[in-house]
Formats: sequence, C-alpha cells, structure tokens
Amino acid sequence: MIDSSLDAYRRWADVPIAEPPHVSVVIPAYNEEWRIVPTIGAIATHMSSLGTPWELIVADDGSTDDTVVLVRELGLANLRLLVAEQNGGKGSAVRRGVLESRGRVVLFADADQSTPIEQFEALAARLDEGFDVVVGSRAVDGADVANKSLSRKIFSSGLSLLVKGVFRLPVSDTQCGFKMFTAEAAELLFRRQLVDEFSFDLEVLYLARKFGLRTAEVPVAWIDAPGSKVDAGKVALEFVRDLALVRWNDLRGRYASENHPKSGRTSHNNDRASLSQTAS
Amino acid sequence: MDISIRQTQADSSSGGDAAMVMSLTGRFDAHEAPQFRAAVAEAIEEGTIRIAVELTDVEFVDSTALAELVRGMKNCRERGGDLSLVSPSDPVRVILELTKLDAAFSID
Repeated sequence: MIDSSLDAYRRWADVPIAEPPHVSVVIPAYNEEWRIVPTIGAIATHMSSLGTPWELIVADDGSTDDTVVLVRELGLANLRLLVAEQNGGKGSAVRRGVLESRGRVVLFADADQSTPIEQFEALAARLDEGFDVVVGSRAVDGADVANKSLSRKIFSSGLSLLVKGVFRLPVSDTQCGFKMFTAEAAELLFRRQLVDEFSFDLEVLYLARKFGLRTAEVPVAWIDAPGSKVDAGKVALEFVRDLALVRWNDLRGRYASENHPKSGRTSHNNDRASLSQTAS
Repeated sequence: MDISIRQTQADSSSGGDAAMVMSLTGRFDAHEAPQFRAAVAEAIEEGTIRIAVELTDVEFVDSTALAELVRGMKNCRERGGDLSLVSPSDPVRVILELTKLDAAFSID
C-alpha cells in the first residue's frame, strides 16, 4: 500500500531515519519567527511524500526573535537546528548548514517558501542528468514570477547584467534562494566560500565555473513573499563590492585550498556557532 | 489564490443561520489575505455567520493567512456562528498541526 503524504510525514516527524539521508534540505533563518513554521510544514510534507530518506537542517543566523525556540519546540525527529550565537550573514548560515549536511543531494531553500518546494523534482532531474549544480531561476523562459516589486525587478536586472558582464557566468539569476548541489560539489564549493553576506551565491557559482562543475539553470515559480529582509540599495552596493572581492580573492589564490576544513568548521571568521539538535 | 463562494441552504445543524462555503485554491498568503478578509467581512455583514472554508486545493498557507482564518473564526464565534475548515490538503493540515491551530478550529 502506498502511504499518503500525511502518513509519510508523520513517520518522518516521529522516527529518526535509520540510514544516511539521500537528500538534505538547508533553510537559513534570521529572525524568521513569522515565516519559518509554515515553511517547515510545507517542505516536510512534500519531501516526506517522495519516499526517500531525507533530513532538514535549519541554520539559524543569530536570530534575536523566537525563531530558535519555535523550531526547537517542533521536536521533529529528522530536523537539525544549528544555532549561531551571532548574526554572520546569510552566506555564513547557508555554509554552516551545507557543511553539516549528510545527503548525497543538498538543496538550500529560503525560509519564506518564495520558491515552492514542489519544484524540488525539476532541479533533482537535472542533477540526475549529470549536472553538479542546479540553480532555480526567475530569469529564464518558463519561470513564473509573481508579485515582484518594480524595485526588485530593476535590482535583479542590474545584477544580471553585472554578473554576465563582469564574470561571464552561464547563469541569468544568481540570487534565487533555491539551489541544489551534489554532495561532492557542495563540499568543494562551500569549504572554499569566503563571502558571508548576500552575494555568497555569486561566489559559489563563480567557484563552480572555476572548478569546471557542470551548472544548469531551471525555471521556477517564484512568489515575492512579503517581509523580505533584502534592502535593495544596500545589497546592490555590497554586491558590487563582493564582485571585486571575489576576483581579488581568486587572484590571490585564496580559493586554491579549503578555507573551512572539516576540523575547524565552527571556528572560522564570523561563524561563532554552536550546534544543537532539536529534542526528539 | 482564487476564492469561489457558494451559499448553502440553512439547515437544522446551522440553527437556521445562513451558511456559506468558501472554496480556496492555490497559495493562500499575505498577498491574498486582504481578498479573503473582505469576503469574510462581507459575508458576516450580510448575516452569514457559519462559514466553511474548503482548503482541499490550497498548497500553502503562510502566517498571515493563518491569522486571517483565526480572525474570521473569532468574528463568527462572537456572533454565535463559526468558521470551520474543510478537507485541508496534507501540507495545510501539517502546518495547522505544527502551529497547533488544529486544536482551535473545527476541521471536517
């Protein structure tokens, strides 16, 4: 008999998986008390319905609201909560979550469910075809973008032009918070990642090209979730700065070896994190 | 999100009050909440205090949508009626459980 997704979810919620997960889903979270629980519910229901062992990792980024308390109190058996003592930037939270992940496939997804989890399979299919990195994209044919504000449209177009002009990356949308990696690609990229802020995606994709990883872009549905913490003006300035920084880091050979080796995963800059697991 | 509304016959279980079924589809989030709030307010103003919200085809509800459902429920109950939830989809049911709102609503 085939389980309903509700049955599959309940088993995932109650019983720790016995084998290593096939998939790890990482959600970075900074002051997400208003949005995180529905997102976890949607992701947990859908991923459990796929019938493959999977784990959920919530990588807190030094939240000062009740994000950590809310997530911990869910008591989900296969959810790991990584608590950071200080806010280090989205890039640091994603890196911490990805480097803690155990799945052969690693997805990071934003906490606002702006890219609905139902698109997991579309990205996974490209990974199955042999790609190492698959990027959810709002800027390629077939994407379905809803409620995006004019300022964000202008901002995204500007970033896209910059990225194509300066880095010549084969990706139109570097910033969509829905990206998938093979475990090997995730290790290679996130152990070298140096940018802790918003433009870490750009650095990761730059490194993917540098190391010859196969990268695919998949159109996704995307809904601009209210409550975005993106300050377009501030982020645009950071982005330009980080474009130069990534180039400079590369010229100095800073990506030649791992910057976050396994032995020191919680000791690097801006990453004063403690790890805790939800009670289960 | 789409909202379709159908008026149902008042029966003995509704105590003679007018009853209504609101069927929602798609994603019910902060963008759609004002539309839902207006529909509920209009129904109550017209004397309908028993509202069943059908959630079979709703894929996701965010916190703002949950707050609107609670608001509607309170407004109906204050007038002697209720706002109940009907056949929530699996993800919506899980979200209701995780937020513990499953205990607050009548769910059919």
